[in-house]
Amino acid sequence: MLASQTPNRDTYEVSTPSDQEIRLTRLFNAPRRLVFDVMTRPEHIVRWWGCLGDGYSVPVCEVDLRVGGRWRFVNRHPKGEAAFHGEYLEIDAPGRIVFTEIYEAFPDTVSVVTSELIEEGTGTRLVAIVRYPSLEVRDAVIASGMSRGAGISYDRLEDLVAELQAGA
Amino acid sequence: MVQASDSDPLSATFAALADPTRRAILARLASGEASVTELAEPFDMSLPAVSKHLKVLERAGLIGRNREAQWRRCRLEASPLRDVSQWIDQYREFWEERLDRLEAYLAELQAEARKTKKKGSSRGRTR
Repeated sequence: MLASQTPNRDTYEVSTPSDQEIRLTRLFNAPRRLVFDVMTRPEHIVRWWGCLGDGYSVPVCEVDLRVGGRWRFVNRHPKGEAAFHGEYLEIDAPGRIVFTEIYEAFPDTVSVVTSELIEEGTGTRLVAIVRYPSLEVRDAVIASGMSRGAGISYDRLEDLVAELQAGA
Repeated sequence: MVQASDSDPLSATFAALADPTRRAILARLASGEASVTELAEPFDMSLPAVSKHLKVLERAGLIGRNREAQWRRCRLEASPLRDVSQWIDQYREFWEERLDRLEAYLAELQAEARKTKKKGSSRGRTR
C-alpha cells in the first residue's frame, strides 16, 4: 500500500558491521538540508515519526537540538503508548547527528544512533549506524523483522515469544 | 568497551532465549509446570546439563521454581517474555516503516512547496 508512495523502498539495506551494530541505509528524493530538518524539528517529526497509520500519533515531541540537549518522543499506537528519549552527542548540520536512544520501558538498555546524510545526485542518502548494548540485544532487534530482506536469520525468536505467550 | 550484559536485564533475557534447548524448555513449560526429570526427557542430556540451562532461565527471570515442593517443579514466568515481546514490537515497526513514512512526508512537503511557488509565480504573471 505504502510502496507506491515510496519510490526508494528498494534502496533500504541493512547490514551488521560489528557484533553490536546494525547499519541501515536508504535514499530519499529530497535535498540534504530538508531531510536534516525533517529529522530534527518537532513540527516535522510529529508528521512522520511513529505515524504509521490510523491510530498512530506523536503526542509528545521535545527536541533540544544542541550537544548535551535531550529529546523525548512519545508514540501513541493502537495498543497503547511507547516513550523514547535520549541525548544529542554530536550535531553537524546537515551532514551528521549522533544521539542516544532509550525505550523508556527498558531504561537500562541504551543504544547509540549515528546518522549521516550524504548528497547523492539530487537526493540524499541516510546511513544510520545503531549500536546496541550487547550482541544479544542487537540480534533480537534483527529477529524482530527490521532487517527484512537482509538475509539474516535468527531462528525465529519472535515466533517463539508469540507462541509462548499464547500458551502461558 | 564495558560489557553491558550484567547490568542490562534485556540482554540477560535475550541471552537466555538465544539457546534452542532453553527455548524448547520454555515451550514445554508453556503447557504447564514440570520437574527437572520431566524436562530432561525429550533431550539427550544429563540432569546436570538440564539444570544448568534451568539456572540460566531462572537468573533471567523466565522461569520460577516451587520452593516448598521437594522436587522443585519449574514454571514459566510470563512477564519477562511479555516485556521482551513488547520491546521487539517497538523495533519491528521502527526503521523500515518509519523511513518509508519519512520519504512520503518529504514528498508531500516538496509537492506543497512547488504548489505554493507556482501559485506565487502565476499570480505574478497575471498582474
